[in-house]
Amino acid sequence: MSFRRRLLLMFALTVVISVAAVAVIVSYMARRAFDRANDERSAALVAQFRREFNRRGEDVARRVQTIAADPETSRMALAASKPTPDYSAYLDDAQVMAEAQRLDFLEIADDRGTIISSAQWPAKFGYKEPLANAKAPTVPFLKEEETPSGPELGLFAVRNLPSAEHGLFIIGGIRLDRTFLSTLDLPAGMRVLLYENLDSGATSFAPQHLISSSEPSGNELGLAALIQRVQHDAKDANAVVSSSPAADDETVNAIPLKGENDQLLGILLVGSSRRPYNELRGQIRSAALLAAGSGLAVAILLSSWLAARVTRPVEKLAQAAHEVAAGNWNAHVEVSSEDEIGQLADTFNRMTAELLQQQDRLVQAERVAAWRDLARRLGHELKNPLFPLQLTVENLIRSRELGQQEFDETFRESSTTLLAEISHLKTIVSRFSDFARMPQPQFQRVELRELLENVVKVYQAQLSKTNITCVVEATGSVAGDPDLLHLAFSNLVLNAIEAMLQGGRLGVRASADQSTARVEVSDTGKGITHEESARLFTPYYTSKKEGTGLGLAVVQSIVSDHGGRISVRSELGKGTTFIIELPSNTEKLPSAWSART
Amino acid sequence: MTGLVFETLVRLDDRGVPQPHLATSWQAESGDQRWRIFLRSGVTFRDGARLDAATVAASLRAANPDWKVMAAADAVVIETASPRPALPAELALMSNSVARHENGKAIGTGPFLISQFDSGKHLSLKANDQYWNGRPFVDSVEIELGKSYREQNALFDLGKTDVIEIAPENIHRAEAGGRTVVSSRPFSLMALAFAEPPKSADESHARNALAMSFDTTAINHVVLQDGGEPTGALLPNWLSGYAFVFPPGKNLDAARREKLLARRITPWTLRYDAADPVSRVIAERIQLNARDTGLTIQLAISGASDLNLLEISPSSADARVQLRELASALGLPAPKLTGNSAADLYAEEKALLDTHQVIPLLQLKSAVSVRANVHGWNSSTSGEWHVEDVWLSPEKP
Repeated sequence: MSFRRRLLLMFALTVVISVAAVAVIVSYMARRAFDRANDERSAALVAQFRREFNRRGEDVARRVQTIAADPETSRMALAASKPTPDYSAYLDDAQVMAEAQRLDFLEIADDRGTIISSAQWPAKFGYKEPLANAKAPTVPFLKEEETPSGPELGLFAVRNLPSAEHGLFIIGGIRLDRTFLSTLDLPAGMRVLLYENLDSGATSFAPQHLISSSEPSGNELGLAALIQRVQHDAKDANAVVSSSPAADDETVNAIPLKGENDQLLGILLVGSSRRPYNELRGQIRSAALLAAGSGLAVAILLSSWLAARVTRPVEKLAQAAHEVAAGNWNAHVEVSSEDEIGQLADTFNRMTAELLQQQDRLVQAERVAAWRDLARRLGHELKNPLFPLQLTVENLIRSRELGQQEFDETFRESSTTLLAEISHLKTIVSRFSDFARMPQPQFQRVELRELLENVVKVYQAQLSKTNITCVVEATGSVAGDPDLLHLAFSNLVLNAIEAMLQGGRLGVRASADQSTARVEVSDTGKGITHEESARLFTPYYTSKKEGTGLGLAVVQSIVSDHGGRISVRSELGKGTTFIIELPSNTEKLPSAWSART
Repeated sequence: MTGLVFETLVRLDDRGVPQPHLATSWQAESGDQRWRIFLRSGVTFRDGARLDAATVAASLRAANPDWKVMAAADAVVIETASPRPALPAELALMSNSVARHENGKAIGTGPFLISQFDSGKHLSLKANDQYWNGRPFVDSVEIELGKSYREQNALFDLGKTDVIEIAPENIHRAEAGGRTVVSSRPFSLMALAFAEPPKSADESHARNALAMSFDTTAINHVVLQDGGEPTGALLPNWLSGYAFVFPPGKNLDAARREKLLARRITPWTLRYDAADPVSRVIAERIQLNARDTGLTIQLAISGASDLNLLEISPSSADARVQLRELASALGLPAPKLTGNSAADLYAEEKALLDTHQVIPLLQLKSAVSVRANVHGWNSSTSGEWHVEDVWLSPEKP
């Protein structure tokens, strides 16, 4: 991935992450604010419920007190004070009194706890009422009351009507039902429910015991788990309730309502719709998406411009570096700023300039070294034939003092020697001259098998003489100069033969595909060391006692002129393999050749 | 009230003993399977026609298709398939009243004549000047029908009626309020009737336990204000003489309860008359008492039920006839009643109770409140009004 793309991606990611982070933070803060507001509203509603509970309790207590002060109640008390009281005349009294005082529950019991009259269950006369005793609560309280249609939850108050010997207990109450809940002033989006935990100790949810101040919202069944939690723990709890996709989420706070004996009689459920929060969250998400989308577009545009601005000098630097890598050490980068990129460009320019200077110095040094090496080699090469020449001439001079016959004989021998050494000198000079005059390759299609078999054929006699087995396996063709390639492979085959004077196996293998031809020439000679391998293609370097060191240099020169490369793989004691890889070079073929292929 | 217009051959006195009325005497033959009833002479119908054996025989045949009724000169002969020792008492039933049919209308021999009748609302009667037993003291009687006890009481308080019915629970209160109250002996039966016979011995035991769980004394005293008597029998003791051997409930000790309720019984549904508040309180009390015993009863005011709280008002003060009526009303097998002794009656009643399909609770009184200027009011035990004996004194200012 390019630097510009990375920069672009980074800018985009930064924008998206920033917007997402802002959205998450805003959403979180909104939720916290909503929860806080919801808690406050719920607490206010619970407080309102408790106020209403207390107010209604006081109201019940007042009504019970009114009944206690009723003359009929006094007559009842009088009847109760008789040794064998007869309560049969008061069966309906509680109903009449409860109706007059708008009480849902009213029981009148004597001080032995015997019910004299019951409004909610008239048939209960004669039964015992546990609350009719001196320990009866003096403040209004919650109570589960039995009725013929089942237990009901009510807000009760007890008043004792003492008399000289026997007293009466008036236990009145009102039903805690939807009417009670409907008196609460509910803020918009809130509702209050009451779960009557009527089966003492119940830990299961009974839908029929759930009373709502409003129409069912569809979440009623979803409250079961919360109610069961409160039934189990008897502590405040809350939950987000959603029972159906159609219904709105609702935060529900559950407050246990306990009776006199601390038993859980009811659960007040304050529900607050989460619709405002959900809408706000939706708006935040929409805004975040919009901002992210817009920001992304702006980021792409801005970052494109910025990335172009930032990366253009870098790209120029990279381009210049590529040129330098390709050999153009004259590459130059324009310094357009004074920042780090400008400094880098300036440094790069100075580096290339320094490289050029060093290259010049290196070339000069190499040139001097080459000349020195050439001079050394020439000196060495020329010195060998010159020494016999000098001896021969000195011998010829000394022979002048001898007899004519001896001189003639010496002269004849010396002349032969001189001619031979001069011929040797000419050969040496000729080789150097040939190397210097290496021609440019004339490309044409070359069948590798044919080429390599012709090379081996030249050395067939030497191969037979040195007991070398030769294997030629070649396919394919390549575009190249057949004479130069013949020369190159001849040098390699000759080297291989010279490496196996005690016999061995010569392998010449070639293959080619659409783009490359590969030729391997291997021997089973003694091999060469790694250091020798590294210096093998240096001109005038030779590991042999006799040699100019130009053979492999010629090979490398030819391979290089064909755009190929040569490498060597050798292992001491096992042999050496030269590997030549040549490009197909079909584009360098004359059009006629190309057409034919 | 039917007796004011139509009369029977026989009437029962307060002890349930048959007394001659349109018949002067009767004679049993062939082991109570054949009865000869001698008719009173000088009795005429409203249209002036004389009461004769053929008219009486026609009336009895219409009311009793299984009887063989034959007219003799001054008597009718009744033959039955089985001995019917209580046949004279059966003749006292209003269903066996004598009527003559003329142009599709029934004409009676009673002390009053129907002058106007609005079914279910109002009945106007006028004195029958030709009544064979002497003209009634009052010239006419206006009867409002279909009024509740409360409405009757209101009309009485407003001075718009001279006589009203009083619910059993209000008898004591009316008397305490200074009203003149004429009440009968406990006669109507309040009972729990099971819709089906018990399906198992466990259920029979449970029904026994239920029968012994009721605090009927408290119900009678508090709810009915002593307007009845607790009972464990179908027939009142004053009628049968042996009802005390069937004691009322509230005598179930814990050990016996545990034995009877060894197995759990499916809850029963009890239906009561929702229009009657007293019925509701009694039903609720039964529910409470049953719960104390360990039985569950659910109350219902409509639909199918396992139990029904019934009040049955027999129309005869004869024990045998009443037992047959009660059995019929409770859906129990009809008692045979072939014997004439108290032991036979006891055996038949016990057999009915042993079906475990009925639990007697109370015998209820019936009563009327009459204004102070009404004299000679006389209700029969079975609730018949004998207005022909009533006379009115001038009201005091």
